Amino acid sequence: MNQILKNALLPAMVLAISSGAYAAGEHGGHHGGEAVGEPGKAENVSRTIDVTMMDNYYEPESIAVEPGETIRFRVKNEGALVHEFNIGTADMHEAHQKEMQMMVEHGVLKGDRIDHEMMEMDMGDGHSMKHDDPNSVLMEPGESKEIIWTFTEAADLEFACNVPGHYQAGMYGDIEFE
Amino acid sequence: MKKSILMVLLAGLAFSAANAGEYDISVDRVQIDTGDFNKEGIGYNGASPGPILRFKEGEQVTINVTNNLDEMTSIHWHGLILPFEQDGVPGISFPGIKPGETFTYQFPIVQAGTYWFHSHSGFQEPNGAYGAIVIEPEGREPFRYDREYVVQLTDKHPHSGDRIMRNLKMSADYYNRQQQTVGDFFAESGEKGFMATLKDRMMWGDMRMMKADIEDVQGFTGLINGKGPEQNWTGTFEEGDRIRLRFINSSAMTYFDIRIPGLEMTVVQADGNNVQPVNVDEFRIGVAETYDVIVHIKDKEAYTIFAESMGRSGFARGTLAPEKGMTAEVPELREAPLLTMADMAGHMEHGGMDHGNMNHDDMAGMDHSDMGGNAEMDHSAMGHGSMGQGEGETLPEDPFYAKGSGLMPTASNGGKFLSYADLKAQNPLYEDREPTREIELRLTGNMERYEWSINGTKYEDADPIVLQYGERVRFKFVNETMMTHPMHLHGMWSILDVGEGKWNPLKHVISVAPATTVYMETEVDAPGEWAFHCHLSYHAASGMFRKIVVEGGPDSAVAEGKQSEHQGDES
Amino acid sequence: MNHLAVSMCGLSLAVAALANPAVAQEDPAKKTQTAKTFWGVSAEKFEYRYSDSDEELAVVEGDAYYGTDELKFRWLFEGEWEEAHNAWETLENQFVAQTPVDDFWDAKAGVRIDTPEGPDRVYGVLGLTGLAPYWFEVDTNLYVSDEGDASVDFEAEYELLVTNFWIMSASFESLVAFSEDREIGVGKGLNSTEVGLRLSYDLIDRSFAPYLGVVHERKYGDTADLARDSGGSTEDWFAVVGARLSF
Repeated sequence: MNQILKNALLPAMVLAISSGAYAAGEHGGHHGGEAVGEPGKAENVSRTIDVTMMDNYYEPESIAVEPGETIRFRVKNEGALVHEFNIGTADMHEAHQKEMQMMVEHGVLKGDRIDHEMMEMDMGDGHSMKHDDPNSVLMEPGESKEIIWTFTEAADLEFACNVPGHYQAGMYGDIEFE
Repeated sequence: MKKSILMVLLAGLAFSAANAGEYDISVDRVQIDTGDFNKEGIGYNGASPGPILRFKEGEQVTINVTNNLDEMTSIHWHGLILPFEQDGVPGISFPGIKPGETFTYQFPIVQAGTYWFHSHSGFQEPNGAYGAIVIEPEGREPFRYDREYVVQLTDKHPHSGDRIMRNLKMSADYYNRQQQTVGDFFAESGEKGFMATLKDRMMWGDMRMMKADIEDVQGFTGLINGKGPEQNWTGTFEEGDRIRLRFINSSAMTYFDIRIPGLEMTVVQADGNNVQPVNVDEFRIGVAETYDVIVHIKDKEAYTIFAESMGRSGFARGTLAPEKGMTAEVPELREAPLLTMADMAGHMEHGGMDHGNMNHDDMAGMDHSDMGGNAEMDHSAMGHGSMGQGEGETLPEDPFYAKGSGLMPTASNGGKFLSYADLKAQNPLYEDREPTREIELRLTGNMERYEWSINGTKYEDADPIVLQYGERVRFKFVNETMMTHPMHLHGMWSILDVGEGKWNPLKHVISVAPATTVYMETEVDAPGEWAFHCHLSYHAASGMFRKIVVEGGPDSAVAEGKQSEHQGDES
Repeated sequence: MNHLAVSMCGLSLAVAALANPAVAQEDPAKKTQTAKTFWGVSAEKFEYRYSDSDEELAVVEGDAYYGTDELKFRWLFEGEWEEAHNAWETLENQFVAQTPVDDFWDAKAGVRIDTPEGPDRVYGVLGLTGLAPYWFEVDTNLYVSDEGDASVDFEAEYELLVTNFWIMSASFESLVAFSEDREIGVGKGLNSTEVGLRLSYDLIDRSFAPYLGVVHERKYGDTADLARDSGGSTEDWFAVVGARLSF
């Protein structure tokens, strides 16, 4: 993308990103009366769950947790495309998908790779397209990452990939509370 | 969420997986009721459309086709990769199936996805001889959905195929009832001024071309799974379901713009091959193409599947509803588009067919400088789809239409309209490599005479295109006509160049819009003889057709032996 | 008459091509996968005319063809039945071969046999038919009779779409003779003109389109004199009612 175009698009991007973030609710907080949970501490981890990302689905597609449990998710992207692992409600995912769409439109997300330089670029006002929410990891093919998450209470949650189209095609899993 | 995939079997399905690979199809005279008219036609197992054939990847299928007609017939398995003797094109793959005879097709299923089958004899396909093929993959589908439906479209016409062909030959505008009238002239004069309008009409009149020349054959009733708009094919669902819709365009001549007002569609497959999912509000399906989309319905409302013909002369309509009988609003047809000078650019540069100079099938060679706006433009400019609220943003140009083309589609809700440029393979089948050579195919014709050809030469006067087994050929389509041509290569995949390298999608039909240049590459990995043609029935029959001969390869000796036996005893 | 040279040339080429079916015959799919021969029958005019002098005429003008894109055989028929005399005032049958010479133009060659009430004539015909810029349909022919007389006719038609079903068509016909043929009432020079205006409605596809219209016929010069001598009129206005037919 050339510089002129980038500059012209900046205000729109910033606006959309920030509104998207608000719409998605403060991660770790409450949304629509549902507790998503919060980033966990390593010492509280009771279990490790391995999640494999394929194109475009997860293995496993369903995870059972207990309220209050802290889980270490070891996520590996074995697909050929960029994928996300994001814990949230369906509404949060939907809101996040708009942000991800923007990342695609601006060349940050390129199908099978992430343009990190572009992603971290300061868009003015200290905003960037940085993907650094604690409930989510965005990964290139072959990458492995971890999330430690505490599920504070039972809620209607899904883990999902919000790369445009992936969630709709079926790249989501259910989090069931026991 | 339900993990299991609920298979919904449609009426007319005559087979189940228990049949273990053996299938029987009879080719019959049938009665087709569109709700608008009743017409005798041709169908399979007593109905048109025929059954949905459900295969499993890796299965060895045996299909016994019995011809109950008083004329020759054939079945072509559209999009399937198979030995060429099984491809079902009379005169190329086999002699055809005589009246009263049963022909047994046998081939392995080496792919998965949505395909279809149809007669390749005369105009039996427009007369009703078509059905759907659904192939379940060996591994898991890379999607999740709760139920699925085949949505097979066609443009059923009250006239038989032979009659339509004859009428078009007598008068190419026989079926065009969207021509510009005196009234249009005065309306336009009021807007643009009398002189400007007159000048416009003079310019087109001078070329003897019509702006309204978008659909050769109007007057059809659009059908979904054999049902007309009034008969309203309905697929049911439960609240919260994700539904996979397998759209197949089995029309003789008609492109459809498809939308489901109120639902976003995620395109997950094109021409049977998985693509990286794209969320769209609307898409255009070329003749003989297939697109699989997934929709997620969160409420208990009815939704209309609305398929408007590209020229807006007709439509097909169906419904997704929580229960049969529920309907949603059926939108009005949008205003008919008109071709622009941009769509005419290819024609003007080269003129029509050269009658005095037939038989010069000048493959390759000749430097046709790029015309107008076309497909090899800057792919980086794409993808800036509908931005947020799109304040004053100009609409993204679709690189697969000429710049300024009257056919450039837009979504009715202002949202995202699928472009070929959005299609990227999910799992590339072939290594990306340099093509070994390029073959230029100019799509040519003479609208006034209703003659269609490739490189100015009709099939009857043309030599076959000879390819060598193992090569990767780059085909350059240059559309010099003002019609859109869905080009279909049998037996081998068409890798559409969308500028994404190894992610370029695999297709079996490449639609080439007027005055554009589109490239596709083919890994020549199927020995034998194959058909290659425009899938508009009356264009193919007029001569926009070639035989492709693949020389060499593992079965070459067998292939040659078979060929010498072939006699075209079909008439 | 450059066109004529071209048309003769084109025609002989087409005939040669037909006589030599060797072109790529080895591919049987060329037979099964393409539609090559076509036919059609139509009557551009099928009407009744009432003149301002109470003359009544039944007029039919039509043609039938069979052939390929490259070569068509066409039978053209034109007749005027005069009610008062119970006789064919005009009765022409043309049998021509027709071949394209350009994107929009066909050349024709053949014979024309006239067998109306009165003396018969046989003509050799060379013609050109097609679509001129701005959508004028044009048909022009050179005739040389068995008596050695030559004449040229010229017809043009323009269709104005009032709507996509209501069509106003304007037609113009004229005949010019290079020599006199007194027996059949043909004088030297401009013989006659016929101008017509018909408003039709496509009732069944383009197969059946009834119309109403007016036609003005006029004879000129020596031809007019010949007509007067035989008690005929030289200028007529007709009201016409009829239908355009096509199968």
